[in-house]
Amino acid sequence: MGKKMLNFEEQCKIVNLLKSSSEQKSIEETLTEFFTNPKLRHFNVCYSLSLLLQDKMMLSSTERLVAFAILHRSYSSQKSAANPFISFLVNAACDEGAENYERAFILHLLGFGNSNSSKEFLKQSASEYIKKFDPSSQTFPQKEQLQKQYLEKAHPEPYACLLKSTAVKNVLADPDVPPGCDVNSAEFDLEPGAKSKLGSGDRDEALSGLIANLSLEGLIPHWIRPLPPRFPVDEELVWLNPDNNHELQWDQGMCADTSRGAAVRDLIAKALRGPLAPNQQEQVLVELANDPKLVYHCGLTPRKLPELVESNPLIAVDVLIKLINSPEIAEYFTVLVNMDMSLHSMEVVNRLTTAVELPKEFVRTYITNCISSCENIKDKYMQNRLVRLVCVFLQSLIRNRIIDVKDLFIEVQAFCIEFSRIREAAGLFRLLKTLE
Amino acid sequence: MDLRDSSPSSTPNRDGNAGDDDGVLSVTSALAKDAALYFQSRKFAECVDVLNQLNSKKENDPKVLHNIAIAEFFRDGCSDPKKLLEVLNNVKRSEELALASGEQVESGSNIGNNITSGSKGSGTTTSLPASNCASIIYADEFDSSVASLNIAVIWFYLHEYAKALSVLEHVYQNIEPIDETTALHICLLLLDVLLACRDASKSADVLNYMEKAFGVGNVSQGENDLAASVNASESPLSRTLSEDPLDEMFSTLDIGGQNLARHTGLTSANDLPRITVDRSISGVDLKLKLQLYKVRLLLLTRNVKLAKREVKHAMNIARGRDSSMALFLKAQLEYARGNHRKAIKLLMASSNRTDAAMSSMFNNNLGCIYYQLGKYHTSAVFFSKALSNCSSLQKEKPLKLLTFSQDKSLLITYNCGLQYLACGKPLLAAHCFQKASLVFYKRPLMWLRLAECCLMAVEKGLVKGSWAPSDRSEVRVSVIGKGRWRRLLIENGTTRNRHVDSVERDVWALGDDGQPKLSLPLARQCLYNALHLLNCSELSNSKSILPSDSSLEENELSDGASSKNSNYKNLPSNDSKASTMPAALINLNGDLKEPKGGTNQEGIQTFISYYEDICRRENQMIKQALLANLAYVELELENPLKALSAARALLELPGCSRIYVFLGHVYLAEALCLLNKPKEAAEHLSIYLSGESNIELPFGLEDCEQWQVKKHIDCEEANVGAAAAKNSSPEGLEDFMFLKPDEARGTLYANLAAVSAIQGDLERAHHFVTQALSLVPDSSEATMTAIYVDLMLGKSQEAVSKLKHCSHVRFLPSNQQFNKSS
Repeated sequence: MGKKMLNFEEQCKIVNLLKSSSEQKSIEETLTEFFTNPKLRHFNVCYSLSLLLQDKMMLSSTERLVAFAILHRSYSSQKSAANPFISFLVNAACDEGAENYERAFILHLLGFGNSNSSKEFLKQSASEYIKKFDPSSQTFPQKEQLQKQYLEKAHPEPYACLLKSTAVKNVLADPDVPPGCDVNSAEFDLEPGAKSKLGSGDRDEALSGLIANLSLEGLIPHWIRPLPPRFPVDEELVWLNPDNNHELQWDQGMCADTSRGAAVRDLIAKALRGPLAPNQQEQVLVELANDPKLVYHCGLTPRKLPELVESNPLIAVDVLIKLINSPEIAEYFTVLVNMDMSLHSMEVVNRLTTAVELPKEFVRTYITNCISSCENIKDKYMQNRLVRLVCVFLQSLIRNRIIDVKDLFIEVQAFCIEFSRIREAAGLFRLLKTLE
Repeated sequence: MDLRDSSPSSTPNRDGNAGDDDGVLSVTSALAKDAALYFQSRKFAECVDVLNQLNSKKENDPKVLHNIAIAEFFRDGCSDPKKLLEVLNNVKRSEELALASGEQVESGSNIGNNITSGSKGSGTTTSLPASNCASIIYADEFDSSVASLNIAVIWFYLHEYAKALSVLEHVYQNIEPIDETTALHICLLLLDVLLACRDASKSADVLNYMEKAFGVGNVSQGENDLAASVNASESPLSRTLSEDPLDEMFSTLDIGGQNLARHTGLTSANDLPRITVDRSISGVDLKLKLQLYKVRLLLLTRNVKLAKREVKHAMNIARGRDSSMALFLKAQLEYARGNHRKAIKLLMASSNRTDAAMSSMFNNNLGCIYYQLGKYHTSAVFFSKALSNCSSLQKEKPLKLLTFSQDKSLLITYNCGLQYLACGKPLLAAHCFQKASLVFYKRPLMWLRLAECCLMAVEKGLVKGSWAPSDRSEVRVSVIGKGRWRRLLIENGTTRNRHVDSVERDVWALGDDGQPKLSLPLARQCLYNALHLLNCSELSNSKSILPSDSSLEENELSDGASSKNSNYKNLPSNDSKASTMPAALINLNGDLKEPKGGTNQEGIQTFISYYEDICRRENQMIKQALLANLAYVELELENPLKALSAARALLELPGCSRIYVFLGHVYLAEALCLLNKPKEAAEHLSIYLSGESNIELPFGLEDCEQWQVKKHIDCEEANVGAAAAKNSSPEGLEDFMFLKPDEARGTLYANLAAVSAIQGDLERAHHFVTQALSLVPDSSEATMTAIYVDLMLGKSQEAVSKLKHCSHVRFLPSNQQFNKSS
């Protein structure tokens, strides 16, 4: 459903123009008359005419001349190269199959070989031109020569889609004549008043039909653009299963008795400041055992852990064991591993290792810290004490298979050698040897 | 007991007016006890009365306000969940506020004597996992976990899973301090939410945690626990056992038994809310629940083999209990395995037809089964039945909270949309998808479907401005003049620029029904939405460890060959892969918790990473479809540049399927051609050339397999009992709406001909177009190209005869309007 090229007025204009070509009016006159309408769309008109001209049969010889004249005149105010139909004109002028008078007429239009480029020839009518035409008076130049003269300085083509610019005329001749008959024979022209016979037709009817239906769009190669397939439905359908029932919960904590928790909290606060009396310690352990969640509410934070470890290592062990699933446990471990080495911290770690599975990294880091603490201590007495402690601690870890000696072998060996003067270090060294 | 009074609480607000007075304390706790009793016996009006008394004694106590809100909600027939949410959120906020201020007091008082506090900050041990040292609670009074749980419960029932999840995940991070009952409820709800969000990895985590924390795993023998069963499945013996026909018999026996018991079980579960101080779920119940969660997880991860074992186990536990869930899951399992008849039988055994909620699910699932069987009209009947069950459910009074979640109408509506799409009714389908988008708006696939609706509507000429389908594939020729003067004028001469002028530019232009009108710009918008969502999810998943692409490819090859019947052909078998992907065993979700078990955990992680592979591959497939559709839409909208980039992106996707590679090349070539680069266009098409002028099949039949409906017609219609099933005519009208491999080859020939013609190589064009016409004789495009080539070669006679022989040409009498009026 391409757009129609010509509006109704233009169609009339063209039909009238073609009719008048056979009259005894001069071509010049016909042209002037044609261009009186300022609203005429020159390109559309010219393009239609060029399509009709391409159909060799459709237009009569006089009509063709007038049509060529229009093609030329429409753009005559500009340079010839700017005429969009210039190559069409040049090609027509060089068409060996065309009548010589037609070719000569186009050459005249183009002003070829005529320096004074007189417009005299337009003063006659088209039929006069044909009648007076003298074939010997005209020489026909080579196509290349014409192209050189009229096309060379043509503007670079403006951007146009190749697909569209390669369009070919979309009108096909499909003569409907009995097989074996000459299509060009005038016998098939409809005589006015005569009975129509098979294969006959009226040229004027076809012409006006064409003029009415011509479209700007030609025929182009077509591209197949497949529609993408619908995405397969595989797991997409929603299968429904019965829901689990989730009820809204009553908050049992409303006005609940929290005194027991408060007691433990007080005791823990006390435990940070100094060792608890045995019965108090007992109370804390019992309360913590009774309520597994109490440990989270007893007021201990990672920051306070070192105080608890130093003052009440047993409570610290118990609390840490209970917190082992807490998301905060890693933080507690971080604090533990970084606090100053002491008998109590080592005791806590040692007990922890037997009670729960500690992260390997934690144990490793702790041992490394132990060893470096021993090396850095200045006070000889304190150093001896600490080294002995570390050795006992390590032996215990190794014997209980808490650590894999291989992980720390070099480090521990170096430690043993450095402190070989101390009996426990020598013992640890022997233990290492037996494991090798 | 009185210790608390002697030491004034360090926390400011809570006991402020009760702290000094024994009398008040005992009065409030007595009132609290009364209120709880009323609540348990569902006397909500009385309960609210008591709570109001309590409130006057302890003004603005968040817990009292919380319980008032809950009790009032029940008293008013669960009518306004949004209002309850508001109150609960306020409660939660004030509790958290109180907690924070309590902590400040606490830490402030301790700074003085906290000598070693520095050591924490200066930690040199970087290797230990840095935990989130956010607000860890010890002040139980301000524990907001119950409020959080209730908030999540409401979101869950409103199908707002993402919101429920964000509340629950926060609580779950810190679950240890929370008391057992609440923690259990939190975990159960979290599991449901995670499964609804299809998060397999976190579900497995929670399940694993529950088996440990609630002692269920220990009760059963080792094989019950998830990890162990994964490992066990690798022994070939267990697999062969489960194929035993005797087993099937046992499970059918089970069904019979449960049928009797179910009614009582179901009603009691619905009517009696278990609000008790003690653990509300008995050991066996919990065990069954966890077992069923496990099955759901396995089904989600498409581990059919294991799911089969586990569901059997669940049936054993469920003996004599409410097991409709187990039966539905078993039916789902059989559905997933393509045993549709068995699935139908199981559903029939389980359905409680009097219960609207149950029958809506029952009908929906039958609809799914018939869809998979390619009986779209039958499935439509079941889906619409399911929907009408839903609407009767909404009318039930008094409302129960569960009613909200039992209203699955949006989910069923989505299924309806798919079914309409399959039946070629894009307008109805789009209506469904737009409705369902309330729930599905985050799923890329939903947007793709909406775009497909647009394309189908345009294709069928249902959209204003688009051509009717007959017009589109047709060449219109005006016959002008008679006799020797007869001329043929080919209309429809140029590119199919059918939409640009006519279609409204406003993407979301609303139609009369208030829904966006289907159009190509809307399709484009939908595709962009889907791509965006997909890219987001890819970003968030990128931290997980991907196995290399090459190993993926290997699987694809071997799977395609081995298991063609299975729906789950993408799932690699467990044993073959275990060794190749050790990296994937690392905790995938980056959870803080240390990997708990040793080797067992690995088994779970392995099958979860398989599942993640599947998801990744599915997402890749979706992405291919999205980009192909996008390139197509941009071409239709005459945006060759955008089409070009979409097609390029499509071809750059790793592991692109051959069909989409073909489309990518075709679209890319056309876009290049429209951009005046015929040479490059020809190069893209030439990759299918072998030798000078022979084109290979761009894809094989096996590539189309995914699109074909798996029709194991193992279904005896008569047994179904539904009248609708009987009038099942041969359906599957639009089973596979794409080119067959040969037609695709013809398309390539035709397009190569077009490109050659544009380049002026008419000889070649002639050769290609002749080939094309032998493969796709009906293609009007190929015919037009052939005619063009003939005309260019000056063979107008042949052009005319081609035109006359083409089946898609319509000859129109010439328009004589001009003559008459002149």
